[in-house]
Amino acid sequence: MSDHEELESSVAAWVLGAVEADEVDILRTHIDACPTCRETALRLGRTVSALPLEVEEITPPARLRERILTAAAATSPGRVASARPRTIREPRRMRKPWVQGAPGRGVFPALAVAATVVLAILVGFVAGDVIGRGAPASAPVVRSTLAGHDSLAGATATVIDLKGEGVALVDFNGLPQLDSGRVYEIWLITAAGRPDPAGVFVPDSNGSKFVLVSRSLAGYRQMAVTSEEGPAGTPAPTQQPQLYGNLS
Amino acid sequence: MESDAAEGLAEPDIVAQLAAGSQEALAELYDRYGRLAYSVAVRVLGDPGRAEDAVQEAFLNIWNHAASFDGRRGSLRTWLLTSVRNRSIDYLRGRSGHERQELELRPALAEVGLRSDPWREVSLSLERSAVRDAMGSLPVEQRQAVELAYFAGYSHREIAEMTNVPLGTVKGRIRLALEKLSSYLQGRGLVDV
Repeated sequence: MSDHEELESSVAAWVLGAVEADEVDILRTHIDACPTCRETALRLGRTVSALPLEVEEITPPARLRERILTAAAATSPGRVASARPRTIREPRRMRKPWVQGAPGRGVFPALAVAATVVLAILVGFVAGDVIGRGAPASAPVVRSTLAGHDSLAGATATVIDLKGEGVALVDFNGLPQLDSGRVYEIWLITAAGRPDPAGVFVPDSNGSKFVLVSRSLAGYRQMAVTSEEGPAGTPAPTQQPQLYGNLS
Repeated sequence: MESDAAEGLAEPDIVAQLAAGSQEALAELYDRYGRLAYSVAVRVLGDPGRAEDAVQEAFLNIWNHAASFDGRRGSLRTWLLTSVRNRSIDYLRGRSGHERQELELRPALAEVGLRSDPWREVSLSLERSAVRDAMGSLPVEQRQAVELAYFAGYSHREIAEMTNVPLGTVKGRIRLALEKLSSYLQGRGLVDV
């Protein structure tokens, strides 16, 4: 492969912001000098600018507008603020363990039984295999599987736990479409049965979605999915999950 | 909550007012794109609190550098959303901007009929629908490569490692995906040829 072909093969990744740091300047220099690659970068760059439009819209909290205007008022245009903003967070509410349930929510004991059964079935069978064998040993990538039941019987999900990064990727497929205003909510379940919310999403028209869970899965035993009120989901599940699995 | 003075302004006018220090122009910019910006940040971070931080940083970046805005390099919306994406990835990966490849501002989608609010909303809705359809039309492995790069900030080499495929395959998937998206959006008049 010629130098040009080698560089040309990375132009799309460069446009997408996906080349390594040490490749950036080399590619920029080449693209500036090569009419063919420059045209490609320009054309694909217009497309990349459209990617943010793919996201599901979520209404921000009303305070964000005032927060931005207040911060802007404290600085004049052209003068860069020196400090990063600080988020005002509401106190985290205590949640009862999922296995113990909450008053009026009889689904939780049932979930505990279901989770135990799933755990028993899954351990030793599909406890997750390591993918990316070329990855550094210090950053293992472990895969687990979620299986759908009852109304979600056709749904599956593959959890890619990037342990070195402290995040996980979940590839959902076969999910039914949701009623208007509903979202799927992901739960991470501790050994004690406490479900912690880990994100919401709406699948595409094919019932698929690739979701990033931006927290470590360390300390969690299972992942489950429920349908909840959108757009932000709920702090605690309101129904028994029908898509769940053991985390490796 | 709408700002009267800046409502309905064309982008160059908003930029000029921002550069002049108009809070009304910043409020107008937020009212137009704040929801979309927040949605992008939540998509990347999955954390509403940190998403607010990323969006605030992006708006303040525009507020502080409006005078240097060059409309030939892309629209104000593209500048804002690219900034939100870059800052969200920084939060996500725990890296400072200079340690990774920042997405650069590029000429944007053709944006038409943006002067009045109703038409802007309709136009944006059509654009979003087309982009979602375009992404949904991609083979799973191509869509996955684009999403891992754009919304999770992984390099093509990292994607190759985590999906256990050769680097050349990942490069090819990204190229094919962007070419298909480009063709799809061009066919709907949303990207200049």
